[in-house]
Amino acid sequence: MATEKITDIRHMLHWPGHMETDYIYTQGIAGEKFFSEIKENEKIYGGRCNHCGQVFVPPRLYCERCFRKIAEWRNLGSKGVVYTFTVVYIDIDGAKLDEPIMYALITFDGAEGGLIHRLGEIKPHEVQIGMPVEAVFRPQAERTGSINDIRYFKPQS
Amino acid sequence: MVGKKRVAVIGAGMTLFRRNLKETGKELAWHASKMALDQAGLELNDMQSVVMGTAPDAFDGVHMKGEYLADGAGAWRKPYSRVFVGGGTGVFAIDAGWWHVASGQFDTCLVVAEEKMSSCYPHPAYAFTTIFDPIYSRPLGVTLIWIFALEMHRYMHRHGIKKEEIALVSVKNKRNALDHPCAQLGANITVEDVLNSEIMCWPVQRLDISPTSDGAAALVLASEDVAKKLTDNPVWIDGTGWCIDTTFWTNRDLYYPRYVQCAAQMAYKMAGIKNPPKEIDVAEVYDPFDYKELHHMEGLMLARKGQAPKLTADGVTQRDGDLPINPSGGLLGVGNPIAAAGLMKCCEIFWQLRGEAGKRQVKGDPRTGLAQAWGDLMQYGSVVIMRS
Ligand SMILES: [Zn+2]
Repeated sequence: MATEKITDIRHMLHWPGHMETDYIYTQGIAGEKFFSEIKENEKIYGGRCNHCGQVFVPPRLYCERCFRKIAEWRNLGSKGVVYTFTVVYIDIDGAKLDEPIMYALITFDGAEGGLIHRLGEIKPHEVQIGMPVEAVFRPQAERTGSINDIRYFKPQS
Repeated sequence: MVGKKRVAVIGAGMTLFRRNLKETGKELAWHASKMALDQAGLELNDMQSVVMGTAPDAFDGVHMKGEYLADGAGAWRKPYSRVFVGGGTGVFAIDAGWWHVASGQFDTCLVVAEEKMSSCYPHPAYAFTTIFDPIYSRPLGVTLIWIFALEMHRYMHRHGIKKEEIALVSVKNKRNALDHPCAQLGANITVEDVLNSEIMCWPVQRLDISPTSDGAAALVLASEDVAKKLTDNPVWIDGTGWCIDTTFWTNRDLYYPRYVQCAAQMAYKMAGIKNPPKEIDVAEVYDPFDYKELHHMEGLMLARKGQAPKLTADGVTQRDGDLPINPSGGLLGVGNPIAAAGLMKCCEIFWQLRGEAGKRQVKGDPRTGLAQAWGDLMQYGSVVIMRS
């Protein structure tokens, strides 16, 4: 079989193809509740399973453990804690970013799980696991009902 | 034994692992399959069933890849199925092949795994961006590497593990791969090389990561009756296990792979293994990132939680250590054509238990080996235990 070290596959006989498909993803029953509360009220909601008592964020329509419907919503506010974080220095093509971007998993008191989101108003070397943070929302007129209605999480003031 | 029939591995094969191979995915699958059949001394006609393991369609760029690859896997007019559990696919493929034969439905099964990641141009990183939740994760521009970085950081934080302790895994595996004839990235590097390599997504640096690759691997499985007629040296599949954790990435114990523990417990129970570090002689542990080898050793209960770095620093996991981990060179050294990389690990355990691993042969006379892979959205564990 071929053993040569080929650095660019375009140097072999080839056909350049493309898989073009676009999608529209509905946010679902629990997702609409979650994103409506962010959009309208700047509140992050979880869902509580009345059978096992677990509060999940993001909320779900059903408990994956008990397999029962989750009908109770819990307001978790907009404050959480950095559970872990990364500082991203390169883009998807491997090119260096002008400014590194910080992403964290934010957890919320009284709930299981959390949200992945950007961190802002802080320098990379200042971020610490366990740090209290709060959501910074876009101006209401700009919100569309997506995870990006939260601009980022910043250190709690 | 759980199954009705005892199942043996009687042949293994694999292609070179490279960044860009000229062969199509089908041709790669055929090379590996033919090599495994040749080692078993069998023809395609002798194969009663075929299992193909291959990961996201978007790598090869054929949106029904199992069907596209079928002829290269020897499936012509045979009972055939494709299995797919992301990165866990390679080891899950042998688990699936096992139940084909253990059930008594077939006497033989050809298990093949393939990935041609170079088709996804300019880089398969783009294919990975669409594996995440479309509502909660993708709008943030999530990439594979920063998701791993979040997990790695939590693991380091929980146990107070340093980067230099983790880098030892990359050093070991790339060095082991120098002895593997199919390896893509065998090298003599130092801990300093890893720590000085490009920072991608802190704490992940360039040399913490396995490459993207093209390649294929294959195994021939047979029932006890058939295996004993064909070889004096069968390797038995004595344990299989697989498990998935919550689909919500944000709801897992990121410092500890519980799904790997569940899969391992299932396999250990089936194999009658009570004390894994004592009873496992050699293991191929999934290592797409250096920290994952440590993380997975703990999930497999080959090390206590937070203790895998110490075993590594003490040389226990070296090829001549008491518990050799990834004598092949692993994904970090041999390469990472996703599904094929997992099955490569099963090939390695087969060759180690037969004493056929050449310069990679671990010391002593290994009788019990383990291969493990990990996949889907970082929450799938697949395990196989083999004995000679
Ligand atoms: Zn419940």
